[in-house]
Amino acid sequence: MAGLAAGLANATVNASTVLILAGLGELISERAGVLNLGVEGMMLVGALSGFVVTWVTGSYWLGMGIAITAGGLMALLHAFLCISLNSDQAVSGIMLTLLGTGLTTYFGNDWSGRSIDGFPEVTIPVVGEYLVEIPILGSALFQSTATDYAALLLVPVVWLFLYRTNIGLELISVGEDPETADTMGVDVFKMRYLAVILGGMFAGAAGAHLSLAFNGIWSATMTAGRGWIAVALVIFARWRPGRILLGAYLFGLFNALQLYSQGLNLSLGPGAPLVGVVNPVLEFVLNPTIMSTYPYLVTLLVLVITVVRAENRELAQPSALVQSYSREAD
Amino acid sequence: MKLNVDVTPRTDVPRWMRYGTPVFTILAALAVSAVALVALGVSPVEAYYVMFVQTLTTNFGLTNTVAKAVPLIFAGLAVYLPLKAQLWNIGAEGQLFLGAIAGTWIGLNVSLPMVALLPLMFVGGALAGAAWIAVPAWLRAKLGINEIITTLLFVFVATEIKNYLVRGPLQAPTANFPQSAQLPAAAQLPDIPVVGYPVGIVLAVVLVAVTYLLVNYTRLGYEITFIGANDTAAEHAGMSKFKIYMIVLMAGGAMAGVAGVSELSGVQGRLRASFEPGYGFTAIPIALLGRNGAFQVMLAALFFAVIFVGGSSIQTLLGVPSAIVDIMQALIILFLITSEFFKQYSIDLGIERAPDPGAPGQPEGEV
Repeated sequence: MAGLAAGLANATVNASTVLILAGLGELISERAGVLNLGVEGMMLVGALSGFVVTWVTGSYWLGMGIAITAGGLMALLHAFLCISLNSDQAVSGIMLTLLGTGLTTYFGNDWSGRSIDGFPEVTIPVVGEYLVEIPILGSALFQSTATDYAALLLVPVVWLFLYRTNIGLELISVGEDPETADTMGVDVFKMRYLAVILGGMFAGAAGAHLSLAFNGIWSATMTAGRGWIAVALVIFARWRPGRILLGAYLFGLFNALQLYSQGLNLSLGPGAPLVGVVNPVLEFVLNPTIMSTYPYLVTLLVLVITVVRAENRELAQPSALVQSYSREAD
Repeated sequence: MKLNVDVTPRTDVPRWMRYGTPVFTILAALAVSAVALVALGVSPVEAYYVMFVQTLTTNFGLTNTVAKAVPLIFAGLAVYLPLKAQLWNIGAEGQLFLGAIAGTWIGLNVSLPMVALLPLMFVGGALAGAAWIAVPAWLRAKLGINEIITTLLFVFVATEIKNYLVRGPLQAPTANFPQSAQLPAAAQLPDIPVVGYPVGIVLAVVLVAVTYLLVNYTRLGYEITFIGANDTAAEHAGMSKFKIYMIVLMAGGAMAGVAGVSELSGVQGRLRASFEPGYGFTAIPIALLGRNGAFQVMLAALFFAVIFVGGSSIQTLLGVPSAIVDIMQALIILFLITSEFFKQYSIDLGIERAPDPGAPGQPEGEV
C-alpha cells in the first residue's frame, strides 16, 4: 500500500507542475480582466519551439527561454486583438488555440519520434538526500526537475507580485474596475498588455515543461487538453494563487488516479447487501474515463457557488472579466 | 513628419464593407497560408489548384464537399442562432457528441423501417443536444453565469462520456476496438437518387430556410434580434430575456445534436472513440462569417467543407499535413475579428509634415 501511495503521490506531483504553470499564467491574465482561451495553443507552441531549440543547441535552458518568448508572442497577438481592437476575448482565444494546434502539428511533423535529454531530476543540495527519504511524499516532492521546483516557487512569487507590489495591485485594479483605475492614473491598456503577455509566457513555460522535462519528446497535440484544464483550474481556484496549487494537486490526483484506478479494487464482497446496486455504481464512478470528467464538473460547481454567493466579494471573479475597455465608451 | 491616426466610431457600416469582409477575409487567410505552404516547399498555386479547382470540378470532390457541408451547416446554425441574441455557444462540439450518441443508441436498439427510424434518430439527437446545453442555458438565463465557459466545460465532459460509452455499454460485443456496432441499413442516411448527394443536404437546406424565416419574419425572431441588440431596452419593452435565452441556446443545442446524427448516420456509420470531428469549433468561424444571415451561414459552411475536403486531397496528393486546414481556420477568424474593428471604427491616417522653419505662417502641428 505504501508503494502504491508513493507512486500515486509521484504521479500527482508530476501531473500538477504543468497545471500550476499554465494556471498561474491564466490567473494573471484574468485578474487584469482578460480571459485567455488560447492557453492550449500557447502551450503547444512553447512545447514545440522549446523542443526544437533544445534539439538543435543542446541547451534545455535556451529551449525553455525560447518557449517562454514564443508563448509571450502569441499572447501579444491576443492582447492586441482584445485590448487594442476590442475583439471578443473568447473568439480570439479559440483562434489562438486553433492557430497553435495547427502550426505545431503542421511544422512539428518532422520532429516527432525524436527524444532529447531534457531537464534532469535533481535533489536540493545538502538537505536533499534526507528529504527524499520522507515516506510517500519524499521522492515525489524532492526528486524533481528544476521546472517542478520553479513552479512551486512561482506560487508565492505570483502571490507576492499581485498583492504586495504596486504593479500587481494596479493589475488587479484594472480587472476589477478599469474606469476607476484609469481615473486614478493607472494605464489600463499597459497593465492589461503586461498581464496577458506574462500569462502567455507562463503558458509557454508550461508547454516546454511537458516536452523538455515531463516527456522528453515532441508529439502533435501532446498537451492533450491540459490548457483547458488550466482555464477550469483558475475558476476552481477562485482567482487566488494559493488555491491554484491546491487545485493543481487535486486535478493532478484525478489524473494519477486514472492511471492507478485499475489497481484500486473497491467493490464489495459477493455476500454484502446491495452488492448489485453498489458495485455497478462504484464501477461507473471509478471508471478512469468517467473520472477524467471530475475536474470539469467540480469546476462547474465552484463556478455556480461563486456566482450564487456573489455577496462574498472576497472570492468572486474579477468584475471586469471579459469586458473590453475603451475610454470613449459611454 | 508625423503620423496621425484618427480612430472614430462609425455610425453606419458601408454596404461594400458588410458584404466584402467575408471575401476579403478568406483571400487574406489564403495568402498567409501560402507562406506555410512555401515553407514546406510546396507550390501554393498547385496546392490551391488541388484544394479548390479539383474539389469543385470532380464528381468525387463535389459529393464529398456536400457530405461534409451537412454537419457543418447544422453546427453553424447551432452557433449562429444564439449569436443573434449575443450568446456564444462555444460548446456545439459537445452537443454534437450527445446527438451522435442518442442517434447511435436509437439506431442500434429500435427496429423500425427507415422512414420512421431516421426521423426518430434525428428527433432523439436534437433532444439530446438540447438537453446537453440545458444546464449551461439555465445557468446563463437564470443566474447570468457566462455561457462561454460552461458550454466549453461541457464539451470535455461529453467527449469523455462518448469515450466511456464506446468502451462500455455501446461497444460492439464482438469487437475489441472502442467503437459501437455498425448501424443497420435502415439507420443510415441514403443518397439522393440520380444526383448521388447525401440526403442530409435537403434537411440542412430546409433548416437554413426555417432559421431564416424565424429570424427575419417572426415575432420570436424579432425578439431574439432585439435582445441581442439591447437587452435592457428589450426587457423594458416587456420581452422575457430568460425565455429568449433558453430558446436560442436550446435550439442551438438541438441543431448541434442534429449535426451529430447527420454525420453519424450519413458518413461514419458507427460511433468510434476517435470520432472528434471538431465541427462544433469550426462552427464558430462559420457563424462569424455568416453572421449576416442563415443563408450566409450555409455559404460559409460550404466553403469550410471545400477546404476540409481539399485539405485531405493535398495531404494525399502533395504530402501537405492536413493541419494546414487548422491554420486556415485560425487565420480566417483572425482576419474576421480584425475587420470587425474596421467596421466599427473608421481609421484616418494623416501624414503631417514637420513645420518648415523657413516658411512663416505654417500652422502649428497639433500636439
